Amino acid sequence: MHISEGVLSGPVLISGIVLAAAGTAIGLKKLDYDHIPRAAILSASFFVASLIHIPIGPSSVHLILNGIVGITLGWGAFPVILVALTLQAIFFQFGGITTLGVNTMIMALPAVLCYYLFGRMVSKKASIAIPAAFVCGAFSIFFGAIMVGLALIFTEENFLKVSYLVVMVHLPIMIIEGIITAFCVAFLKKVQPDMLPGSSEQISFAPQKEAAGD
Amino acid sequence: MRTNNFTKKNRMCCRKSFGFMLFMMACVVWTDPAMAHRSTIFAWVEGDKVFTESKFSGGRLVKQGDIIVYDLEGNQLLKGKTDDQGKFSFVIPKKTAMKIVVQAGMGHRGEWTIPLSELEDVAGPLTEITTSRKTAPKRTEKQAKVSHLSSNQIRLTVEEALDKRLKPVMKILVESREHGPTFRDIFGGIGYILGLMGVASYFHYRRKSAEAERKKAN
Repeated sequence: MHISEGVLSGPVLISGIVLAAAGTAIGLKKLDYDHIPRAAILSASFFVASLIHIPIGPSSVHLILNGIVGITLGWGAFPVILVALTLQAIFFQFGGITTLGVNTMIMALPAVLCYYLFGRMVSKKASIAIPAAFVCGAFSIFFGAIMVGLALIFTEENFLKVSYLVVMVHLPIMIIEGIITAFCVAFLKKVQPDMLPGSSEQISFAPQKEAAGD
Repeated sequence: MRTNNFTKKNRMCCRKSFGFMLFMMACVVWTDPAMAHRSTIFAWVEGDKVFTESKFSGGRLVKQGDIIVYDLEGNQLLKGKTDDQGKFSFVIPKKTAMKIVVQAGMGHRGEWTIPLSELEDVAGPLTEITTSRKTAPKRTEKQAKVSHLSSNQIRLTVEEALDKRLKPVMKILVESREHGPTFRDIFGGIGYILGLMGVASYFHYRRKSAEAERKKAN
């Protein structure tokens, strides 16, 4: 899902950078200091996930994990994904420095959307939360594929054709990522329920602050 | 009692977070560092032809990917498609430095430049070479006529023999270019992320301790 350097035209790149910068600014504002370690762990996971390739389908596709990043961080997904993508571009030559803005939009916007669509559902009882998490994982990839189509609209012209192709290629990933997201949510529900949105975070953080003050 | 309860809960929480960290570490170890996600093209000159091989750098071949050849001014010289082995070859259309671009679809792109110096051995008029090349081996068979061979023909014969000999070397070169992210890259990246986290918490706690000192002073 990383768009390489030299594919997109200047205006697309610039609008990508502007939008991604705006998203990152909102994300940093919303990301409070208590969530920094969580954001770092998720950033590291996102960074590494791109190395797990799924050898199904005609092209080379890998895990993205933007669904789980979005659902646990909301707008914080923007800075987290931007950092991970920068490092991927430097260390792995995935995507590129000039396409950083566009690539951030492709992966972070679906993450934020997932947060708003499924955030409330995953903190409900398991029979609702687990299917919602599955759909969230799959949808984050699906929407990312649509974003790739949108980004390439000015170069490859046929939006529907490109989007269809990208969705088809990522079909196995959608299913796998859905399963991973469902497992992660089930795991977090048991272990760290306050990492999921909608759970009463204020209450769970209050005693920690008290302890720090002592 | 309350604090006791809290520390107990806190410790359990820690143990569980440790489990989560272990899970993430398992993800890291599970990854295959040879895999990557970008497309690359490697091209080399052999005689009057240019051979190219395109891959996604996980070793997956770029099948039916578009190859476009430009000169350095950006004029398109020719266009083609890779076969199912990711290969595409073409006869050099013009004696100029070339930029060969592979477009593997969905925003994947790789390029390779062949400088003019690599083409220098391909002597001036290309057509002449190709015809003389075909005849060159036949002539060498005739040992008696060796002395009649022009220096140009000898050069071409040697070149052809060298091309043949160098083919396996070229293959090794193509394959050795294929290096995905190493463990150093992976852990380096994770290190950067943890470093950023450290910087953020440094500023956070500096502000916090300043606040605490102010409170004390009051």
